[in-house]
Amino acid sequence: MNPTIFGVRVSMLFRFYGWRLRRYTAQELLAGSGIAVGVALVFGVLVANTSLTGSAANLLHGLTGSASLQLSARSSQGFSEQLAGEVRALPGVDAAAGLLREEVTVRGPSGRESVQLIGFEPNIIRLGVLTQREPSTSELLLIGGLGLPAEVAHAIGVGQGGPATLYANGEAHPAAVRLVLTGALASATKDGTVAVALLPRAQELTGKLERLTQVLVRPAPGSERLVAGELRRLAGGRMNVESTDAELSKLSTAAKPTDQSTSLFAAIGAMVGFLLALNAMLLTVPERRRFIADLRMQGFDSHQVLLILGFQALVLGVGASLAGIALGDLLSHTLFHRVPLYLAVAFPLSGAQIVSSTTLLLALGAGVVATLIASLPPLLDLRPGRPADAVFREARGEPGITRGAIVGFGAGGLVLLAAVTVLVLAAPRLTIVGGMALALVAVFLIPAIFEVTLRGLGRIGERIPGSMLVVAVTELRSTATRSVALAGVAALAVYGSVAIGGARADLLHGIDGAITQYFDTADIWVVNGGEIFNTNSFGAEHTAAMIARVPGVASVRTYQGGLLDLGTRRLWVRARPASDPAVLEAGQVVSGSLTRASALIRHGGWIAISSSVADERHLRVGDTLALPTPSGSVSFGVAAVMTNSGWPPGAITMNAEDYRRHWQTTEAAALEIGLARDASATRVKHGIEGALAGRRGLWVRTGGERAAESEASARQGLRTLSEISMLLLIAAALSVASALTAVIWQRRAKLASLRIQGFDYLQLWRALLLESLVLLTIGSVDGVLLGVYGHSLASRWLELTTGFPAPFAPGGLQVLETFLLVAGMAMAVIALPGLRAARVPAHAGLQE
Amino acid sequence: MSASLELRELVKYYTSGSEVVRAVDDVSLTVAPGELVGLYGPSGSGKTTLLLLTAGLLAPESGSIRFGEREVSSLTPGEGALYRRREVGFVFQSFHLMAGATALDNAALKLLGDGWTLRDARRATRPWLQRVGLGEREEHIPERLSMGERQRVAIARALAGEPRLLLADEPTGSLDSKRGREILGLLRDICHERRIPGLLVTHDPQARAFVDRVHTLRDGHLSEGLDAELEVGLV
Repeated sequence: MNPTIFGVRVSMLFRFYGWRLRRYTAQELLAGSGIAVGVALVFGVLVANTSLTGSAANLLHGLTGSASLQLSARSSQGFSEQLAGEVRALPGVDAAAGLLREEVTVRGPSGRESVQLIGFEPNIIRLGVLTQREPSTSELLLIGGLGLPAEVAHAIGVGQGGPATLYANGEAHPAAVRLVLTGALASATKDGTVAVALLPRAQELTGKLERLTQVLVRPAPGSERLVAGELRRLAGGRMNVESTDAELSKLSTAAKPTDQSTSLFAAIGAMVGFLLALNAMLLTVPERRRFIADLRMQGFDSHQVLLILGFQALVLGVGASLAGIALGDLLSHTLFHRVPLYLAVAFPLSGAQIVSSTTLLLALGAGVVATLIASLPPLLDLRPGRPADAVFREARGEPGITRGAIVGFGAGGLVLLAAVTVLVLAAPRLTIVGGMALALVAVFLIPAIFEVTLRGLGRIGERIPGSMLVVAVTELRSTATRSVALAGVAALAVYGSVAIGGARADLLHGIDGAITQYFDTADIWVVNGGEIFNTNSFGAEHTAAMIARVPGVASVRTYQGGLLDLGTRRLWVRARPASDPAVLEAGQVVSGSLTRASALIRHGGWIAISSSVADERHLRVGDTLALPTPSGSVSFGVAAVMTNSGWPPGAITMNAEDYRRHWQTTEAAALEIGLARDASATRVKHGIEGALAGRRGLWVRTGGERAAESEASARQGLRTLSEISMLLLIAAALSVASALTAVIWQRRAKLASLRIQGFDYLQLWRALLLESLVLLTIGSVDGVLLGVYGHSLASRWLELTTGFPAPFAPGGLQVLETFLLVAGMAMAVIALPGLRAARVPAHAGLQE
Repeated sequence: MSASLELRELVKYYTSGSEVVRAVDDVSLTVAPGELVGLYGPSGSGKTTLLLLTAGLLAPESGSIRFGEREVSSLTPGEGALYRRREVGFVFQSFHLMAGATALDNAALKLLGDGWTLRDARRATRPWLQRVGLGEREEHIPERLSMGERQRVAIARALAGEPRLLLADEPTGSLDSKRGREILGLLRDICHERRIPGLLVTHDPQARAFVDRVHTLRDGHLSEGLDAELEVGLV
C-alpha cells in the first residue's frame, strides 16, 4: 500500500528527502544541530524546573503516607511527645503518629550533606509509611539504625553499616549510619535529602528528648472537619494545624524566586535557541529555492511542492527535536541535576527527575514549529505570476539587501526597543516577554549596523595596499543576506550570553554582598556543624561562658533564630542581640531608614521584613504584622523593608530579646564572638576550638570563612543559572562557528576561481578569517548593546519580582569575556575548515 | 614584450582506484603571440586539465610548459600564484563575480592580491572596462547587468594587470548566441591587439569563426583541426 497525497506517492516523499539528505548532508546536519541545541536548552531547563517540586511531592507523600492533616510546631524546639497521644484520643482520628524533624549534617569519608532527619513513631506503619513488608528495614531502625537514601550515602562515601558522623544540637555523633535504604521506603525517599530513624534515636541524636515537631493525622472517613477543629483547639494558637500538602505550597513558594529566575534565563535562552535554529535553516534557503525551481520546471504544482517541502521540514524538525530532547535529558541528568542545598535546610527535597508529557510535547512542538517557520521563505517562489525558473534567472549569488529593507528593519527594531522599554517599565512582570523581544530587536538592527560597518571598512580597506579587507568586504557585500543572517546568529549568541551572564553576575554579587554584610557583625562565629543559615539551635549558656574565658575574646553574643511558617512562606528569622554592631545589612534595605529601623529593632517590638512578604501583605514601613510565634500570635511594627537576603521565601530580622520572649527559648542559633583589640582572629579561633574540644558538633569559623561557606551554598542553588548561561555561550559560539564553516564550505568554487586568478591560499585564508571576524564583530557589537540593556532589565526584574538582591552593574569585564569567548571559539573552530577551503583545488572553479 | 606558449610532450594522468586515466597524453602545442587557439573536445577529454596545467595549477607527470622564458611546470606554489596574477588572464564560464560589488570593483579585485590599493586598482582597471564597452556601467552591480555584460566584466578582470596570456574556459557557455559572438569577437580582438597568446576551451560551434586555429582533444590526445566526430556534432 502506497497512498498518494496531492498525487505524490508517500514513498516518493521519503525518496525526495533521502536525495536531499545525500546531496546536502552538511546543511541538513547544521540546521538539525541548531534546532537540537535550542530544543535541548528548553527541555533541560523545563525538566530541571518541574522536577524540584514534582519530586518533592512524591517524597512528601511517601513520608506522610495516608495522613491528610498535621499538627506542627512553630519552632525547632517542638512540643511534648505526649501531645501525640492526646491527638490519637481526639474524636474522629483514625490514626496518628508523631514525628521529629530537624536539620542535621551527615559527614562521611568523601563529603558531607545537609539533610532533614526524620524520626518516626513506630505506629507510623498505620499510615502506610513503613510497611510490614519491610522487616529488615524496620528491624534495623529498631536497633537504632539511621537510614540514608542511597544517593546521600553515595555522596558522602558511606556504604551499608559504614562509618559516618552526624552533627546535630552542637554535638557530633560518630558511626551513626547503620543502613542504606532499600525497599519501599527507599523508593519513597529515592534521591531525597533526608535521613530516617525511629523517634527515640532521632530524639537522642538531636538532644530533643521527648519532643516532637509534627503529628501526622488520618481522620476517619467524613471526620476531616471535626478533626481539624479538635486539632486547632488542642493547638491553642501556639502550633499550626494544616493539611499535609501545605508543606508543598511552602516549598513551591520557596522555590518560586529561583524558578522565576531560571524561567527568565530559560526563556531568553530558548528564544536565542529558537532564533539560532531559524538562522541555521535560513542558511539552506538558496538550496531549497533551487530545489523548488527544479520541481516546478518538472511539472510539480504548488500543492505538491508545498507538500514535499513541508514533509522535509517536518522530518528534519521531528528528527532534530528528538535529538534535542535526548541531549536535554542528558543535561537535566548531569548539569542541571542538582538539589539546591540551601532549600534542603528547610524542606525534605528529592533530586529525582520528573519528565511530564507536557514538557515533552512543549519541547518537541517548539522544535518542529521553528523548523516549519524557517522553511517558509523559499515558498515565496510559489507566488502566482512568479516564473518557475525565477531563481535561475536571478543573478548568481544572492540579491543584496535593499535600502528599504535596511531602513524598515532598523526602524522596526527601534520601535520594538521603545515598546519593550515602555512595557517593562510599566509592567515589570512582562520582562520575560521583553527579554525575548530584545532578541528580535538584536536581529532587526543587524542590517543597518552591517551596512554602516561595511561602508567604513570599505573606505579603510581602499587605502591599504594589498588589503584582504577589501576582498572580505566585497565578499560580504556579495552575500549580504547570508552575511546578515550570520551576523544575526553572532548577535543572538552575544545578546543571550551578555544578558543572562550579566543578570547572573548581579544576582550572585547581590547575594554575596548580603551574606558578607550579614556575617560582618562578628569576627568569629560558632555554629552547628555544617549549618548554612544559622537556623539550628543548640544549648549555649555554658559554651558562651567557656568561650568568654579564651584569651583575645572581648565579647560573646547569643544570636538566635530559625524558620517560621507564615502563610505559604517559610521565613528565615534572624534574631540579633541588641549589642550587635549592626542589626540590619545596610545594602539590603529597600524601604525605610537604616538608622531609625535599627534603633527601633534594638528597642524591641519592631521587625524588618523582606519585600516579598511586604508586597504579598501590602505592608509598608510603620504598619504592623502579626507573627505566629510558639507563644501565640504577636504583632510587630514594620521598621524596614529589605531584600530577601538570599533566602528565597524572605527573611524577618528582629531583636534577640523579642525572640527569646516569644519563642520561649534561650538556645542559640550561633554565637557571635568579638575580638579584643590587636587579637589575632586565627589564634583566637584555635583557642576557641581548644575550649570546645568536648563539643565537636560546634564549628568555629571566622566571619570570612562563614560568609564563604554560605556563598558557596547560595551559588550551588543558583548553579542552574550559571550552567544555562555557560551552555548558551558554548552553544552560541558553536552555532556561529558551524554556520560560518558551512558558508565558507559552500563557497569553495568561488574561492577556487580566486586561486586561478592568482590569489594564494594564505591570502584567501586571511580574507576568510577577516570576513568571519567582521561578521562576529558586527554581531557582537549589536549583541553587547542589546545584551547590556537586557541585562539591566533582567536585574531590575529579579529584584522586583523575586526579591533577590541583584543590583545592576554593567560588568565590562564579563562583556569582554563573552565577546572573546564567542569570537575566540568561533575563530578557532573555523580556522581549520577555512584553511582547507582556501586550499580548494583550482579545478573546482571551472565546474558548476 | 610578447611571448609564446609552448606545451611539449605533456602528460598528466589521474588514478581512480586501480584505474589510470590519461587526461593529457603526450600533448604538444604552440600558441604564438597574438594568436587565439580554440580547443574543442567532448566532456571528459582533458580540456580543463590542459587549461589547469597551463595556468600552473597542476603539475604534469612529464613534459614541459613554457611561457616565454618561464618553465611553468616547475614553479613553486608561490611562484605559480605570482605567475597567474601577473602573466595570466583567466575567463570562466560562470563569471565568478561578486554579487553586490560594482562592475569596476569586480574587475579590480584581482589586483588586490598583488598588493594594490583599491583606489589604484580601480584607476588601472577603468580603461579595461571601457575597452570591453562597459565604461558607462562601471557602477552597476552584476545583478543589473545582462549575462553578456557580466562576462565582459569577467574579461575586464582577466585583463586588469595587463596579462601576457589569456586562458578561457567555456566563456560563452552561459550566453545566448548573439552575446556569445560578441564575447568571442572581443577575446579575438584583445589577443590580436595586445599581441598575446590565447587558449580558448569551448564547445561553441560559432567559436570556429573567431579563432585562428582549432585543435581537438579526445581521450587526452591532441589533434589539429576538428576530428570527424566533433565536426558532425558541431554541424
